[in-house]
Amino acid sequence: MDNTVTLAHGAGGKQTSQLIDSVFKAHFANPDFTADDAAVLQVDSGRLAFTTDGFIVSPYEFPGGNIGKLSICGTVNDLSCMGAKPLYLACSFVIEEGFPLDKLEEIAAAMEKTAKEAGVRIVAGDTKVAGKGQVDHIFITTTGIGRLMDCAHTSGKYAKPGDAVIVTGDIGRHGCAILLARNEFGIDADVTSDCAPLWGTVKKMFDTTDQIHVVRDATRGGVGTVLYEIADQSHVGIQLDAQKIPVAGEVSGVCGMLGLEPLYLACEGRLVVFVPKEQAQAVVDTLHQCPYSKNAAVIGEVTADMPGKVVMKTEIGLQTLLPQPGGELLPRIC
Amino acid sequence: MENSVSEAKDIITSYHGPNLRIMEVCGTHTHEIFRLGIRKLLPESIRLISGPGCPVCVTPVGYIDEAILLALKHHAVICTFGDLIRVPGSEMSLAGARQQGAEIKMVYSPLDSEEYAKEHPEKNVVFLAVGFETTTPAACLAVKKARKDGLQNYSLLVANKTMPNAYLALKDSADAFLYPGHVNAIAGTAVCEELVKKGISGVVTGFTAGELLTALAVILKLSAAGKPFFRNCYPRVVRPDGNPAAQAVMREVMEPCDTEWRGLGIIRGSGLRLREPYHSFDARLRYALPKITGHSSLLCRCGEVLQGKCRPNDCKVFGTGCTPQHPIGACMVSNEGACSAYYQYGGTENG
Repeated sequence: MDNTVTLAHGAGGKQTSQLIDSVFKAHFANPDFTADDAAVLQVDSGRLAFTTDGFIVSPYEFPGGNIGKLSICGTVNDLSCMGAKPLYLACSFVIEEGFPLDKLEEIAAAMEKTAKEAGVRIVAGDTKVAGKGQVDHIFITTTGIGRLMDCAHTSGKYAKPGDAVIVTGDIGRHGCAILLARNEFGIDADVTSDCAPLWGTVKKMFDTTDQIHVVRDATRGGVGTVLYEIADQSHVGIQLDAQKIPVAGEVSGVCGMLGLEPLYLACEGRLVVFVPKEQAQAVVDTLHQCPYSKNAAVIGEVTADMPGKVVMKTEIGLQTLLPQPGGELLPRIC
Repeated sequence: MENSVSEAKDIITSYHGPNLRIMEVCGTHTHEIFRLGIRKLLPESIRLISGPGCPVCVTPVGYIDEAILLALKHHAVICTFGDLIRVPGSEMSLAGARQQGAEIKMVYSPLDSEEYAKEHPEKNVVFLAVGFETTTPAACLAVKKARKDGLQNYSLLVANKTMPNAYLALKDSADAFLYPGHVNAIAGTAVCEELVKKGISGVVTGFTAGELLTALAVILKLSAAGKPFFRNCYPRVVRPDGNPAAQAVMREVMEPCDTEWRGLGIIRGSGLRLREPYHSFDARLRYALPKITGHSSLLCRCGEVLQGKCRPNDCKVFGTGCTPQHPIGACMVSNEGACSAYYQYGGTENG
């Protein structure tokens, strides 16, 4: 079969080079892309951010993206959250025998397009082919290096009482899109993943103020999980206003049917940002000018009370604890 | 809307009448009441009890044991709503059986299980039919479709239940019921009117903050008269005659029987089973299952919780041995179970 990935493609011989040349080199071509054992990079003085992330999403194509786009966004966004300009990425593929080559092309094309948008170069990679059934179609791991801006000092530890909590767009889209794409629930709804590279957005925020205490991308576990992590790391309480949390109508409809909470659904293009209250409006105004944060909103504030807890002001003005998620997300039955 | 919410809030917070026990019998009500923080509004004289309205919570241990026997001994593919997977049986849960090689498939609708059986004629498929009037019609439709499709590999392990006789069994546990809007949307309100004649009060309501607060305020107002009452506070969805088409399919496919409720024991006429023409789809008959009496953990007080005899946090294992991650009792499993709701919202009565 000429049009699928075979074990020979992963054996290190001629077919491996052909696969790398025809798919990866063809798409990723740039002056730093290495043909040797490692890419050689010029490093400026200053602080570097360095991170890695694995992607095993099923299905590997979904409304709003594919695993290739996701694998670039994930690592680019992790670097961006530290205030680091993403510079270089390495990517490692584990591909199931029989995977269609045209799909691999689409994935590589999405990776390059997303990398270009984020201003990052893919400089090294690895390809392995696993026997049928040993992996679920394709797994990708990306590793990235970024250079921190001098003004960037963000960490989950730096949330302070009086900070405003900002979310950069409507939440839960990616998790919802994936649930629907798995087609297990017989629900038709038009939900697109929010998957997007956010370096440009982060840069604009830092141009607006350098007093950004925390930036986190709300990926697996969603905004709710991220907020609990930050409350714990910073020993502060977080108070949310239920009515200010942006959720798309389709997403809240699907969540209502399945008994899921949008705050716990993954996002792949949304940031949670903590800035001093006085800076919040300027940051939100900036976010509204950026392509992936038109619905940015202040959703709550940091308190000295109830450290480690996230409290929700409900739509009837009462306060309740936001439940902490755990275990698998199970749809309810009635 | 704003006005009616604040008016209802005022009625609730300024209540000075005698002690009242109000039982909600719908897991979604339980969850929404906690989520909205409504319990914080209530004066001490009003106690909300989370009754047996979550299908997962009232399903007896023996039922889980039957499902595991079908999966492990008869190698049937078990299709189930997600919540049931982690409910403890006598020895293990379905999740435990899955680790031992059982094939457990999560479905959202009974019709999906029928479809799966049709697509996999080489497999024996059993759907775990639990739930109240809200889910039963879909299970009945799945059976009818299976017969039309001529399926030989599909059956149901039926534990569907109906509410009316449960209210009678719980008569002494509550002064008024918050009736589950979704159930009454199917069953109608005649049954509630009948309950008034038997001295049982209640209000049927929906799931928004306004609907829940209004229903509570109505209960407080009507209780003052000292006579049994019923009001439909959810008229935009619940019609007096309910959903006749859904009732008809239930009557056609299933008939009443006595059934066991976790913690409440056998309640006469509160269960459903397949009628004779559909016996070939009855998993108990098809696999000649023995009578199984399950035994739950001696530590677990879910039975008392479901009757309002104790609060979840009165149970010794609540939040220590029994958590949503490692449930000992059924009420800790489903998001909508009373123990799980107490746990998630801070471990106390008011969240």
